[in-house]
Amino acid sequence: MTTQALSETMPNPSRFSVRSALQNAGIGLALLALILFFSVFTEHFLTPNNITNILTQITINLVLAVGMTFVILIGGIDLSVGSVMAFAAVVAGKAITLPGFGPAEAIALAVVAATLTGVACGMINGVISAYWALPSFIITLGMLNIARGAALQVSDAQTIYSFPYAFEEFGSAMIYGVPVVFLVALFLVLVAWFVLNFTVFGRLLYGIGNNEEAVRLAGHSVYWYKVAAFTICGFTAGIAAIVYMARLNISSPIAGIGFELNAIAAVIIGGTSLSGGRGSVIGTLLGAFIIGVLANGLILIGLSDFMRQMITGVVIIVAVVLDYYRAKYASK
Amino acid sequence: MKLLKIAAAAATGLALLAGTAQADDKPVVGLIMKSLANEFFQNMMAGAQAHEEKRGDYKLLAVGMQNETDFESQINAVENFITQGVDAIVVAPADSRAMVRPLKKAMAAGIVVVNFDVALDADAKKQQNIELAFVGPDNRGGAKLAGDALGKKLGAGGKVVIIEGNPGADNANERRLGFEDSVAEFELELLDSRTAHWETEEANTVFSNMLTAHPDIQGVMAANDSMAIGVVKALESAGRDDIVVVGFDNIPAVGPMIADGRMLATVDQFGTDMAANSIDLALEVVKGGPQLEGWVKTPIELVTAN
Repeated sequence: MTTQALSETMPNPSRFSVRSALQNAGIGLALLALILFFSVFTEHFLTPNNITNILTQITINLVLAVGMTFVILIGGIDLSVGSVMAFAAVVAGKAITLPGFGPAEAIALAVVAATLTGVACGMINGVISAYWALPSFIITLGMLNIARGAALQVSDAQTIYSFPYAFEEFGSAMIYGVPVVFLVALFLVLVAWFVLNFTVFGRLLYGIGNNEEAVRLAGHSVYWYKVAAFTICGFTAGIAAIVYMARLNISSPIAGIGFELNAIAAVIIGGTSLSGGRGSVIGTLLGAFIIGVLANGLILIGLSDFMRQMITGVVIIVAVVLDYYRAKYASK
Repeated sequence: MKLLKIAAAAATGLALLAGTAQADDKPVVGLIMKSLANEFFQNMMAGAQAHEEKRGDYKLLAVGMQNETDFESQINAVENFITQGVDAIVVAPADSRAMVRPLKKAMAAGIVVVNFDVALDADAKKQQNIELAFVGPDNRGGAKLAGDALGKKLGAGGKVVIIEGNPGADNANERRLGFEDSVAEFELELLDSRTAHWETEEANTVFSNMLTAHPDIQGVMAANDSMAIGVVKALESAGRDDIVVVGFDNIPAVGPMIADGRMLATVDQFGTDMAANSIDLALEVVKGGPQLEGWVKTPIELVTAN
């Protein structure tokens, strides 16, 4: 009985992959169309420098969106990632500017500080929302405020600056024109893709999103899986903080306001269902590209800031409507 | 819900008691600032608190906001100060129109009101039929100082872009106008002008894209230093050292950038002193001095490497 329930909630991986590959192909086509459009209508879009720019510009959002994918797949949401990123950046900024450390130790300390801060915030989100079965929307809204306040408190609302030179080097380093920070993000995407598709843990996250009760009846501890998903999301917020610091060479307590919305948008545009259980991190990668290409291309075209914001909004709505039809036909 | 209301009423009552108790000996000044998440106001509050300690002849009650657009809490703060019976309210309005009506109520209650940092809207003041002086810097003039420094460096025909603050914010507008004054005076060519919402990361992104669209940019005018830092980082990653950047605010983080030439100039409007000076002016009036009139300009200064 229980095994039957579980197999219903977790489609057989190979079949699932075909469907998700088709879905990703659709999003990929949309991205391709955008790229084609901007290449034709602007002079500089398809130049090596601009491609490097786009890769750099989507990195933070992509990192946050990878963690967000885990949370949305189990039917949750994490509104706190922007603030947690700022908090992690400030804590790491304090660590990296501590006197008495060489550059290497200082950087290592900062990386540890940022990831631990992110992990701790994510774990708190997960434990509270899973233990009391409360909507993560409201718990993470609380964390959004806690982390922002903590970032301001710890930093005295001052921008922290003058980091070791090597850290800055890392932030602007390129391999064949590809920013190293983007490669870090891409690595996270690949790890997430592997975990979600080829591990029991990953398949159970899909299962929880589809039918939590069935996973529980099959004898798995839903609680810990949920905590893990939120912890991963906090972890990626910590990584995003490191990328932010390396790129800009400062830690600002007002960094990342509204970043959670862009991360959610990347996940949703990437075809992951807000109700959980359906989607992929490859889609998220494509979604982050669509947002980044739009933001970049619309400036190159010379569109005003306000029009740019409106178009981004329209794209999000279109993506959700498409998702509705996708779900409808997939269930037939 | 009801419980919350009772709690709120109790809190107001306590505040009322505390307020009147203190009002007995020293005059009480209520200071209302904008977002304390902003370094500028954080420094301003620190300046005001140091000032309170130094003068020692008044009691300071300082409040800030959650963020730059949280108008409601400023209005609430004014109302709370009226209830507490403070002697003076010194306010940096988050919205130049929304604050006029509550401040009128405060004046009607006999409280000395000093408006600083951002000027209240002239039409709104006329409509409410109140006269209120403004103590503050000339944001437009300040931005023009920075813009002029850039204009002198580039000469006529120099190609520039502007990175603006929050659309609709009065100081963002004024600074943009100041930059545009410089553009006109030095016959610069303005290639593009966009907002990055005062934020470093967004300025980095927006400016990188502007640079792609216009590789021939020669100068950048950023409406605050946080955004100027983002621009400087974008220039570094693009490997360009031929583009001149000016900012505004003189936050500590840009000190090294101005010293080593990555930035040409910024503008100091002495935010730390601004609240303290306004409090001095308010206390003068409380003690029976003449009412303030017109625009009491506070100092601004161009900061360069030498």
